[in-house]
Amino acid sequence: MSDAGRGRRRGRTLRWLGWLSLVAALLGILAVAVMWRPALAPIDAAPRFEPGLVERGARVAALGTCAACHTVDPSRPFAGGFPIETPFGTVYSTNITPDKRTGIGGWSLEAFERAMRKGVSRDGHLLYPAFPYNHYARLSQGDVQALYAYFMTRPPLEAPAHANAMRFPFGFRPLVGFWNLLYLDDAPFEADPKQSAEWNRGAYVADALAHCSACHTPRTRLGGPDDKRFFDGGEAEDWYVPALNAKSPSPLPWSREHLAAYLRTGIAPGHAAAGGPMQGVVENLRHGDPADIDALATYIHRYLAQAPARDTPARRPGSLPAPKPDDPDLARMQLGHQVYADACARCHDAGRAESSGTALQLQQAVALYDPDPRSLIHLVRDGIAPPDGEPARWMPGFGAILSDEQTIALAAYLRRYGAGQADWPDLADAVRKGKE
Amino acid sequence: MSYELQVNGKKHLVDTDADTPLLYVLRNDLALNGAKFGCGLGQCGACTVMLDGAPVMSCIVPVSVVGARPVRTVEGLGTAAQPGMLQQAFIDEQAAQCGYCIAGMIMRAQALLDRHLAPTDEQIRNHMMPNLCRCGTHMRILRAVRRAADTMGKARRGDRP
Repeated sequence: MSDAGRGRRRGRTLRWLGWLSLVAALLGILAVAVMWRPALAPIDAAPRFEPGLVERGARVAALGTCAACHTVDPSRPFAGGFPIETPFGTVYSTNITPDKRTGIGGWSLEAFERAMRKGVSRDGHLLYPAFPYNHYARLSQGDVQALYAYFMTRPPLEAPAHANAMRFPFGFRPLVGFWNLLYLDDAPFEADPKQSAEWNRGAYVADALAHCSACHTPRTRLGGPDDKRFFDGGEAEDWYVPALNAKSPSPLPWSREHLAAYLRTGIAPGHAAAGGPMQGVVENLRHGDPADIDALATYIHRYLAQAPARDTPARRPGSLPAPKPDDPDLARMQLGHQVYADACARCHDAGRAESSGTALQLQQAVALYDPDPRSLIHLVRDGIAPPDGEPARWMPGFGAILSDEQTIALAAYLRRYGAGQADWPDLADAVRKGKE
Repeated sequence: MSYELQVNGKKHLVDTDADTPLLYVLRNDLALNGAKFGCGLGQCGACTVMLDGAPVMSCIVPVSVVGARPVRTVEGLGTAAQPGMLQQAFIDEQAAQCGYCIAGMIMRAQALLDRHLAPTDEQIRNHMMPNLCRCGTHMRILRAVRRAADTMGKARRGDRP
């Protein structure tokens, strides 16, 4: 090869190296821009707040259902420690009381607002989106200020953060920056001029505060909201979370009034009582402004009303029948019917009057119509227990009373003879897995 | 219907309706009157017994679902003359006022001690939560369970009391 040829080649290599390092540097800058956030200076003392602002903050916090995750022990409100299981690991909620060392006592309004809207802690580390800042990003300025006033005036409690148990590589928090690129839309809430003021208020409460779609909309494989399937139903704490649109599994149509009653109390005529994660939501919502709950019902009902009217057994409540003699799965159905008749019917057969202690007739239980059996299994096993000292619907758990075989048979029987729906294919696995 | 039940290590044949609560069978057919009828709704725990090692409220257990799984009642832990370790701890702490809830309290506690050799105070509190006491004897009950756990721990390690 000639000298000239070698020189041309070296020049080309150098040029390539130059480009490569430029790209690497740009990528580096980009990565830092995506993943790194500065610390904000701590404050020495919390500012003083108008009592009215603190009271408003209490109502906003109720609608934001903050306590559902941040309060574990009712005697230590907002001290955190609630484990949230995600496909990426278990995230523990943190202490949001104004304790200087372990809480948010040193946070300025600016730091608080950045956490709420951008998911960045005061010291600059990125918060996991188990904290729904992608919803709170659309809060009004006034609501953020009210929340800050409310939390900075709670009794400070010492409670260091519980270490998260993340799967590799998600323990590396800066990766959340890329999630934020994909899913954090912090454009302010915009009212839809075609809708009523009440509907728009409901849309704001549902999206920016109560973050309904965080559970009622399925998530993508990257853990972001799958907005193409808005309100198509999702999951929370291993419960199936019902769809709120045309795909709603509810066997009876919801009226707006019943929905408002349900959101305030967890109970509505002809519908199952709130159980599982929804119980905690209702516990929070009932401390919200009733007008806001009505608005929330108006907004959600617009979606629920898309569900086509169906002729389901829920329209004909009563005792559940014995299995047909020619049932292909007769032995299992007979066992299921026996368990139902001996263990469930005592409360569920009688039917529920407005103020009675008896329970919903099971043709009307939405868990029987869900696309998977998880919620029904949880209800049978753990029942429904109101929080300490709170009046609410109640059901004992049968987890230690029924064997796996009996639980599987009961669920299969209720599905077929209570709801008239096709079998759950994964029922036996779900029963065994739910026990772990 | 006829059911064969295994209670405190003995087999019993009872003839009763399928939906008869286990509590009624224990008290009325087998004369095991330790478990008490409190609310009859599975809310208070006075009827707690162990089914296959787990505490259950026997007023909501239909006899038809019991099958071959062993049932253990407070009578299976000891006698008045020879109380079991947990029963002795309840006596030592005088952990009863009216006493109506105590058989249930003891059986729920026994289920914990069978599974956890050295439960923490928090585990004891959480485990005992479903059972109610109207007299307010809770602190003594918790002390009794603590005492029993410690005594059993010492016995296992071979320490002299």
